[in-house]
Amino acid sequence: MRILLLGMNHRSAPLELREQLAVEDPAPPLQKLVASEDIDEAALLSTCNRVEVVVVTRGLEAARMRLHSFFARDLGERQGLSLRDLEPHLYEHVDGDAMRHVLRVASSLDSMVVGEPQILGQTKEAYRRAVECGAAGPLLGRLFQHAFVTAKRVRTETRLAERPVSVARVALDLAHQIFEDLADKRALLIGAGEMIETALDFLRREGLESIRVANRTPERAAELATRFGASAHGLEELPALLREADVVLSSIGGEHPILTEARVAEALRTRPGRPIFVIDIGVPRNAEPTIDRLDNAYLYDLDDLGSVARDNAEQRHRETAQGEAIVEEERQRFDGWLSALRAVPTIRHLRERVEAIRARELESALRRLRLGERERGEVEQLTRSIVNKILHAPVSRLRREAEREEGMAYLEAARVLFDLDEDADPSDAE
Amino acid sequence: MALQLHEWAAAFYLVAGLVAWLGMAQRSAGLERGSVGLLLAGALLHVGALSTLHNLDPTPPLTDLPAAVSFMACIGTLFFLVLLRWLRLAGLCVLVAPVAFASVFYAVLRLPRAAAASFAGSGSWPHAHVLLSSAGLALLGVSGLAGLLFLAEHRRLKAKRPIDLRFPLPSLEALDRVNRVSLAAGFPLLTLGVVSGMLWVDAESGHLWSGSPHETFSVIAWAVYAVLVGARFGASQGARQAAASAVGGFALLCFAVIGVELLV
Repeated sequence: MRILLLGMNHRSAPLELREQLAVEDPAPPLQKLVASEDIDEAALLSTCNRVEVVVVTRGLEAARMRLHSFFARDLGERQGLSLRDLEPHLYEHVDGDAMRHVLRVASSLDSMVVGEPQILGQTKEAYRRAVECGAAGPLLGRLFQHAFVTAKRVRTETRLAERPVSVARVALDLAHQIFEDLADKRALLIGAGEMIETALDFLRREGLESIRVANRTPERAAELATRFGASAHGLEELPALLREADVVLSSIGGEHPILTEARVAEALRTRPGRPIFVIDIGVPRNAEPTIDRLDNAYLYDLDDLGSVARDNAEQRHRETAQGEAIVEEERQRFDGWLSALRAVPTIRHLRERVEAIRARELESALRRLRLGERERGEVEQLTRSIVNKILHAPVSRLRREAEREEGMAYLEAARVLFDLDEDADPSDAE
Repeated sequence: MALQLHEWAAAFYLVAGLVAWLGMAQRSAGLERGSVGLLLAGALLHVGALSTLHNLDPTPPLTDLPAAVSFMACIGTLFFLVLLRWLRLAGLCVLVAPVAFASVFYAVLRLPRAAAASFAGSGSWPHAHVLLSSAGLALLGVSGLAGLLFLAEHRRLKAKRPIDLRFPLPSLEALDRVNRVSLAAGFPLLTLGVVSGMLWVDAESGHLWSGSPHETFSVIAWAVYAVLVGARFGASQGARQAAASAVGGFALLCFAVIGVELLV
């Protein structure tokens, strides 16, 4: 059995191409794939960053051609793309490399944002759908289960996922370092653009109850506020709003900073002991950098947040080495299990051969001995027990050795010593 | 019995510190909770040890440094456990448990050698003074520790450095609240400690003031704290200044109570 993986991801193909190949319902193409003679099992993973198909096959070359044709005809043609358009962006992994790739993908080591948690759910979903449509069998099942275990190990044994790398997440983590509980805090959002809309959604999900939106055009602020259960205000209310705000997020156009040091200092004077966290994601900047000199004010602009996010990303990168080591360990374990499968036909044949000899010799002996029913049972049990005990050691050894690359020699030796011709009938044994 | 209980309390504190450290290294919430449980068990044994101290022969005077340090550690640990009920401070167990262990271990080594002191004629003032001052010192110690951590976290946030995941500190708001509560509870105890000390001196010498270095520095430290408390609760001092004051105040207090004792 061979494992073959063909696909494209954020590194090998641009977004425009990836989104054209995205597969909404993988069941029909998967069923078509496993209906072909060359492919025994298949699974398809389609996310915004990757489209990958992994198959189990007995004929590697035929499966390779089938998969290339699958990408060209089943996925590309409907979008007017030919194999020539896709070929430069496709990558291929076979056997050990394919196993490693599946394990790395599930563990988020191959993600655009290394350590992001969504990919594990997406991989689980891809496997579930492959099982549901009958495309995934025992070998892919084992591979995916192994991938989920590996992902869990990488998550718990490394700090890969602990450091936020998105600007929004970094800002929220910083807010948690300043405030004990965000739920009872007041947020003030200045502006009404796309960034503010995203922030509103984010803050709502974090449980902030009091959110105020201030904008030059109160109508737009009102529209956003209604949608997210916030209150809308005009910019002329800014001094009063600042006095009550704990978290201020600003993304509004304008040549001059709307949040001046004097304004924030004035607000702080009216609420001693209560800090203010100002997040300035406006370009050009909405807040005077000198605000950060105020004792109880913590100002982070896009560069600061980006710098923390980059530091975190570097830390994550350092953690990837540990993650890769776990993946390699698990890949070897899976490879061992897969290799052990090579011993199955030889062991089965050996057992059948010995069992045939035992049955024949027992029958002949029983004919001569004329034993009663009870004694016959005893003798039969005795022969079974002898056979099992003799076979136990060599069979265990064959299983163990088959997990290693050099184990093939043991299998070959067993076939020669016991005359185990794969095509021969075991009952022909002398 | 008192010594055995002290030893057991020290052992529990030590294990609590190790489990807290393991919990931090493994990022295990279970181990973190376990360390708090062990700290609580240690504190209960510690209370038992202190309440049976009078059974020792000779009975160590509470005015002796080992007993006072042990009492201070016990009050500080219990106060920390109370604060844990409503603030996210479990991570601080990694600091509190070793401090408690070191204090109790010191007491275990020194207590058997403590000589019985005679304060005939002083009544219960010596004990009242030591108990109240130690309790005040313990709470102001917690306030100083919270202040120190506040300054470290404030500095990190201002320098825009990423959060240290190996030792994530509590939020600034939580640390400021600990500082405020500890100061509010610790200063009255310290005041009562100073007053009872003066009454003890009065019972012994007939004067409220003897002019000893310990007395002088303690009153200076108390006066400094009085100003700090006034600034914090009256003049609406900022959180960073309050944190710095708590650290400075506690350093001065330590010098007045322990440093002077060792120097003189």
